[in-house]
Amino acid sequence: MTRSPVTNPYLLVLPGFLLAAFIILWPLYQLGTISLSEVNRFGQLRGFAGLDNYIAVFTDPDFLGALWRTLVWTVGIVFGSLIISVPVALILNEDFYGRSLARVIVMLPWAVSLTMTAIVWRWALNGESGMLNSGLQAIGIIDTNIQWLARASTAFPVQILIGVLVTIPFTTTIFLGGLSSISDDLYEAARLEGASRWQAFRQITLPLIRPFLNISIVLNMIYVFNSFPIIWATTQGGPANSTDILVTYLYKLGFRFGKLGEASALSVMMFALLLIFTITYVALAMRSERQ
Amino acid sequence: MEKHWFRGAAAAAALLSATALTHAQTLRVTVAEYSSKTGPYFEEVAAAFEEAHPDADVQIEVVPWDVLLQKLTTDISGNANADLSIIGTRWLIDFVDQGIAAPLDEYMTDDFKERFFPVFLEPSVMEGQTYGLPMAASARAMYYNKTLFEEAGIEEVPGTWDELAEAAEKISALGDDIAGFGLQGTEIETDVYFYYAFWAFGGELVEEDGTSGLDTEAGYDAAALYKSLIDSGATQPGVTSYNREDVQNLFKQGKVGMMITAPFLSNQIADEAPDLDYGVAAIPAGPEGDRGTYGVTDSIIMFENSENKDLAWEFLDLLFTTEWRQKFTAGEGFLPVNPEVAEMPEFADNPDLKEFTALLPDARFAPVIPGWEEIASITSDAVQTIYLGNAEPQEALDGAAQEINGILGE
Amino acid sequence: MSAKLKRTIVAWALLSPLIVLIVFPFAVMFITAIKPAQEVLRPTWWPSEVAWRNFIDMWPATNFGPALWNSIYVAVLSTVLALIASVPAAYALNRYRFSGRGLFRQFLLVSQMLSPMVLVIGLFRLVVWLGLLDNVNSVVFVYGAFAVAFTVLMLQSYFATIPRDLEEAAWVEGASAWKALVIVFLPLAIPAITVTAIFSFINAWNEFVIALTMLRRQESYTLPIQIFSLVAGRYTVEWHHVMAATFVATIPVAIVFAWLQRYLVRGLAIGAVK
Repeated sequence: MTRSPVTNPYLLVLPGFLLAAFIILWPLYQLGTISLSEVNRFGQLRGFAGLDNYIAVFTDPDFLGALWRTLVWTVGIVFGSLIISVPVALILNEDFYGRSLARVIVMLPWAVSLTMTAIVWRWALNGESGMLNSGLQAIGIIDTNIQWLARASTAFPVQILIGVLVTIPFTTTIFLGGLSSISDDLYEAARLEGASRWQAFRQITLPLIRPFLNISIVLNMIYVFNSFPIIWATTQGGPANSTDILVTYLYKLGFRFGKLGEASALSVMMFALLLIFTITYVALAMRSERQ
Repeated sequence: MEKHWFRGAAAAAALLSATALTHAQTLRVTVAEYSSKTGPYFEEVAAAFEEAHPDADVQIEVVPWDVLLQKLTTDISGNANADLSIIGTRWLIDFVDQGIAAPLDEYMTDDFKERFFPVFLEPSVMEGQTYGLPMAASARAMYYNKTLFEEAGIEEVPGTWDELAEAAEKISALGDDIAGFGLQGTEIETDVYFYYAFWAFGGELVEEDGTSGLDTEAGYDAAALYKSLIDSGATQPGVTSYNREDVQNLFKQGKVGMMITAPFLSNQIADEAPDLDYGVAAIPAGPEGDRGTYGVTDSIIMFENSENKDLAWEFLDLLFTTEWRQKFTAGEGFLPVNPEVAEMPEFADNPDLKEFTALLPDARFAPVIPGWEEIASITSDAVQTIYLGNAEPQEALDGAAQEINGILGE
Repeated sequence: MSAKLKRTIVAWALLSPLIVLIVFPFAVMFITAIKPAQEVLRPTWWPSEVAWRNFIDMWPATNFGPALWNSIYVAVLSTVLALIASVPAAYALNRYRFSGRGLFRQFLLVSQMLSPMVLVIGLFRLVVWLGLLDNVNSVVFVYGAFAVAFTVLMLQSYFATIPRDLEEAAWVEGASAWKALVIVFLPLAIPAITVTAIFSFINAWNEFVIALTMLRRQESYTLPIQIFSLVAGRYTVEWHHVMAATFVATIPVAIVFAWLQRYLVRGLAIGAVK
């Protein structure tokens, strides 16, 4: 066979690698440099600072609060959407009238930019003019308007709920794909052996869609951890930082207060955190898959 | 291969930026978007300017207020800022400290200076140099709903905070969805809404010894007053979910008896709720007769690294002619910063604006301190905590003052 | 009652709570969009009259046309860019063993973990260095590059389902590697490429943080930024226009979804897991 560029894997990989590397490695290097430097409010470097920026972030009480909420936020949304998406996917995998329509409706939130969804919710949650309150009053669930965004105890759960709603389409789609790859013969065989539907689910469906569960958990974890618009558009992390997660805290640190050095340090830490998180999860998932 | 590619890209980039430099007549202006009228207004100015300077190309960059500081930060850090930009005057010190804003004195003739009210020019003077020109100015006053006042049997507009509390409770008693006093509790200027009472009780944001004034009797009293208004139902419920715009919306709907805000609310009422019967009055005074309104100016600055300073100046010169100022001030609903504009009948005979202008002698501007945004945010957090009832006023304000002192001491 | 009818009733009944929650924001969007300006702040569900003209007024008031065009331009071109770079890379990953292959895959996986928010300062400097600031093409470039990781990973697992035999048969018949690729492989890969393209398109269509940082003039705004600018820090927000714009911006993607829903399910299943 003649040597052709098509047979040289390095040449084939090169454009993609360069493009991705350019956009990742260079900014990452910049970030590392800034995080170790003394830097003024406009990002101009003013000398080496060692780990000062990292220490400053660590000793900020708001950081620990945001870290904890990020955990609640990520775990809440990832597993919340998981718990809803599995049955939804099972239903959508059945053959019933209007299934295509139901699938389209479930996927609909995906079609809207997260920013726009968050803006719409902000409007719907408004205490006096919001249609959520008037809707709930109309069907008799509440008597007086609830000020959803006034305190973290109502705002944060609502934000997580919105997060779950916008995560469901992607998760359900992955599961649907997984379910559609399971052949009907397996269920047929199980039924002949007298297995109940629940047993069939436990013994056949769950193991076979396990890889799909894992991939959705990993990808969602990454997306949710980094998700900014929902919280920012509804409460901007307030009142009194009580709904801040790391991303919104990062934004405030960097672009409100102009502490770009600390913001860069936080960025690096967030990246490291996510990396450790994901690697651990993937390792655990792979081990349990092998068993 | 890789190296080669990078060098190629670098060369291309260098070429691109070089061509950008040779276009010496491009003038970039970053403007903050106050309303839907801002963008079209500046495009019009740009067109007029280009007509007078056929070789100039003015690029207007309209930026939403919420992200203006972020954009300026990234721009400057990337050395890609415009030639001129509108900024909040409270940020100016950071720009001056870092040598980013250019002094304008060498361009300013006496004639030019006379176009402004000195009180508005002052905040942009630092170390004897003028670094910005006041683009927009506003002060705050109290709007009240005359219909609600009548229904509640209130005959006089409250002149003190005690009277305000009394009136607010009466108005709140009118109905479930009616509130006496609209209290802003979230997002931009939450701290300012607290300062109105704080100043009236004789508070100072920064004491003479250079420490925060929040942990004083004035702070505790003001916070206790607001908290008691919330607890007695004299404010709208759930104040910590209401930003400025939300409270204004309540007022426009006639659901709030009194609120403190800027003159642009009058323009909105004229457009959206023309039937609302309202009045404008001074912000109530404290027990000792102290009172204070918040004065805000936004300035337009020239960047030190601008390649076209002379052209930029000519643009400013045009921008601050009476004709263009009149158009801007009327369109956005700000206070006139130029005497000639202020004398025009549409401003001079406007009863709402008169109230605002009368308050100007009491106006306080945000103190000139680096890191002001962070201090404002700490204060907002503290008052939100108090409004929510999660901490006693003294405890929350002492904590905030301590944090602020840390910043002030830097 | 037939079994299918029974299933239908049960399925819709079980889905209904979720559907209510999903449809709710769309209802809010639509109803606010058709309210006359004076009624927007009243939380009634039905307007006294339907103000269709909001949709007409919204168009110039929100600068909708240019923003729509920019969004389409950015989403299409960045998708094309990502595909041009990732189809060969995915092909190589799947068809050849070479040293560094595992490393390259890991690099792609890790690069998925970086949020644009985390990188935005560095990215901004990069774009300035390239002289592409305030150029819609800078966003095309960044989106395209960001999409590469996801598209390569997805495509290569999809390519694994395309049997090798066909290309090998073509080689035996004397076709060059290039010819075998174009004539035999690519036509088979088209469904995979389509699905991948849709994902890349949607991500670009919805992206917010990068566009917010890189685009500074209204002429270059994409839809999410344009709509955000209508509510961010303005002294007054025209909610009926905002909602009308949001609603109209949603329709194109919703139609694409309805149309390609079947392919999405299958494509994501194969692409995501292998």
